[in-house]
Amino acid sequence: MLEFHDLHRSFGDVVALDGLSFTVAPGELCGFLGPNGSGKTTAMRCAVGVTQPDAGSVTWQGGPIDLAVRRRTGYMPEERGLYPKMRVHEQLVYLGRLHEMSAADAAASATHWIDRLGLAERADSAVEELSLGNQQRVQLAVALVHDPELLVLDEPFSGLDPIATDVMSEVLLERARAGVAVVFSSHQLDLVEGLCETVAVISRGRLVLGGEVAELKAGGGRRLRVEVDGGTAWTRSLGSDVEVVAVDHGGATVLLPPGADAGPVLDAARRHGRLLDVHLEQPRLSELFRDAVGNGEVELDDQLRFRSAVRP
Amino acid sequence: MSSVRTVLLIAGREVRQRLRSKLFVWTTVVLSVLMVGASLIPTLISAFAPGDDVADIDRGAMVVASVGELDEARVAAVTSQLGPVEFEIVDDEAAATALLDDRDSEVELAIVTGERVLVAADTGPFGGPNQGRARSVAEALALVDLLEAAGAAEVADEVLALTPLPVDVVGAVDPAEEVAGMLVANIGVVFIFGLLMFYASMIVNGIIEEKGSRVVELLVEAVPVRQLMSGKVLGMGTIAVGQALTIFLPGLIVLLAANRAILPPGLGGQVAMTAVWFVLGYSFYALLCAGLGALVSRPEEAQAVLTPVTTLALLGYFIGFAAIQAPDATWAVIAGWLPPTAPFVMLVRQAIGDPSLLELAGSLIVLIVGIFAAATVAARIYEGGILRVGARVRFREAWRSRTI
Repeated sequence: MLEFHDLHRSFGDVVALDGLSFTVAPGELCGFLGPNGSGKTTAMRCAVGVTQPDAGSVTWQGGPIDLAVRRRTGYMPEERGLYPKMRVHEQLVYLGRLHEMSAADAAASATHWIDRLGLAERADSAVEELSLGNQQRVQLAVALVHDPELLVLDEPFSGLDPIATDVMSEVLLERARAGVAVVFSSHQLDLVEGLCETVAVISRGRLVLGGEVAELKAGGGRRLRVEVDGGTAWTRSLGSDVEVVAVDHGGATVLLPPGADAGPVLDAARRHGRLLDVHLEQPRLSELFRDAVGNGEVELDDQLRFRSAVRP
Repeated sequence: MSSVRTVLLIAGREVRQRLRSKLFVWTTVVLSVLMVGASLIPTLISAFAPGDDVADIDRGAMVVASVGELDEARVAAVTSQLGPVEFEIVDDEAAATALLDDRDSEVELAIVTGERVLVAADTGPFGGPNQGRARSVAEALALVDLLEAAGAAEVADEVLALTPLPVDVVGAVDPAEEVAGMLVANIGVVFIFGLLMFYASMIVNGIIEEKGSRVVELLVEAVPVRQLMSGKVLGMGTIAVGQALTIFLPGLIVLLAANRAILPPGLGGQVAMTAVWFVLGYSFYALLCAGLGALVSRPEEAQAVLTPVTTLALLGYFIGFAAIQAPDATWAVIAGWLPPTAPFVMLVRQAIGDPSLLELAGSLIVLIVGIFAAATVAARIYEGGILRVGARVRFREAWRSRTI
């Protein structure tokens, strides 16, 4: 279990982490979400020991993130980084060996991931000669080459084309199924919704939403989508316990209180006109995200990010 | 995995990357070939030179002009100083001066009895031998004048032929070893300063490249900062020593094979100690440079941030050079105990001075402790600066706050 426990970290006046806690279990694929500057990168750097928290701790299987753990961790930093003039295969072998592999194992594993990620033809090219998309694949291979039991990936999907996105998704799912604890940050909420079992949403360095995606969506209340011939004026006659989530030209979506019956809503709509469409729907992850984070905070955090001398 | 293996792995990459640079390899090879060529020069000269010319250069009788004929006593006085002399009698001083001025004339000195000795002006920074000869001839003639005036002209011959008391040089200094010492002191100081600054700046370039390309974040995840820096310093140091050996060793072997006697005795040991002082001095300065290099993100900013260390090295270089004149002066002894100046000063003191065993061992120990201190300081600066990309990080800021 990867456990973030009450993490605090400031850079000068800027508070990057303010009591962040959440966990990722082995075999779990966790989407780590939050607006820009909410502290995701700092939290992930703490998880791989590149940054030390001011207070609180990150533990793996109950122990501290020491050098031995770090060497069993695969990490993809926010700012991609490879030796530009080193060849792809050579680079993977070198970084594999720095993670405690023997030369032979590192070479075999490098070849495996180069093939798996479709880089076989570029194995002997210098990294700087590769396209950005291919460099990103190499970056993923670097995180995977030493067969880690924990994967910490900072925005692995940013800048990938749809095909590369599919490959990345496949590999992450496969690793999670193999028992690896995978946590990755992303701004692509729809992608995370389709891929991850669990998410952790943070804002201003604190967890604001976390758990299994299915549960979160169910816990977000049942939403009833109603389309009526003759407009949406009927929504004004609803009781105060029913919240109108969205009104558009076609119809309206209302949020039913937990355990409430949909009947009164349907009655109100039917009084107004002929029912064209009725169905229950779950909230999108992006909606849950916006509710949890709030728009005002996003802007404030962006300002903090600009002021920060260090990238938190 | 042991830390030694990690350090070696990092050092190995540095070496491989450097060897992959064609410019570096070819420069080294060309320099090596040039050194072999240079070491063949003495052998070639003696092979093509026609016999023992050096002895034949010895000149015949010196031609001395004299205003009027000299008496026997004065001829004896002149020959006692100059060896066989051919006299050319002239009428007056003006004629003698004209002869000295005349380029075609062989006259080198002129004697105006009882008045003066004339000598042609010599060119060159140190004058020529004739001015010294003129002085001794003048002294001998004055002596004869003095003895005649005292009525003791008969002892003039004996006085002029006087054999001085023998002078014995006491002590065990082998003059040939002295040569080796001066050679090592003069060349060694320049050599280790140049090599040290060159390779320290190579390390800084490497660190800036890692910082700029962000690969450093992957490295600090898997490797403790001290091991990372040690590996880089070791790798570059290996390259430095390897390059020096490649450049000088083939030439040295050729030189020894051709003419063993050409090298002064004791040179081997002196050179070996130079290598020791180089490795230690290099480690000290390279670590400091590595730490400071983490403060900047672009190579063009490196110069400014390294200024304190470069100044320190330059100071050591100058003090080392000054110590060649006074290897055992108090200030040189003190400088030998300070890590920044010790590599330069102790190299010189060991080569031509007389440091005690305590001073030698003590200086080595202080320098090694200094290297560890430099590593600690450098690691702290490195940790404070390496993940801050963009504007140059100020030293105090890096020292106080850590990003790692």
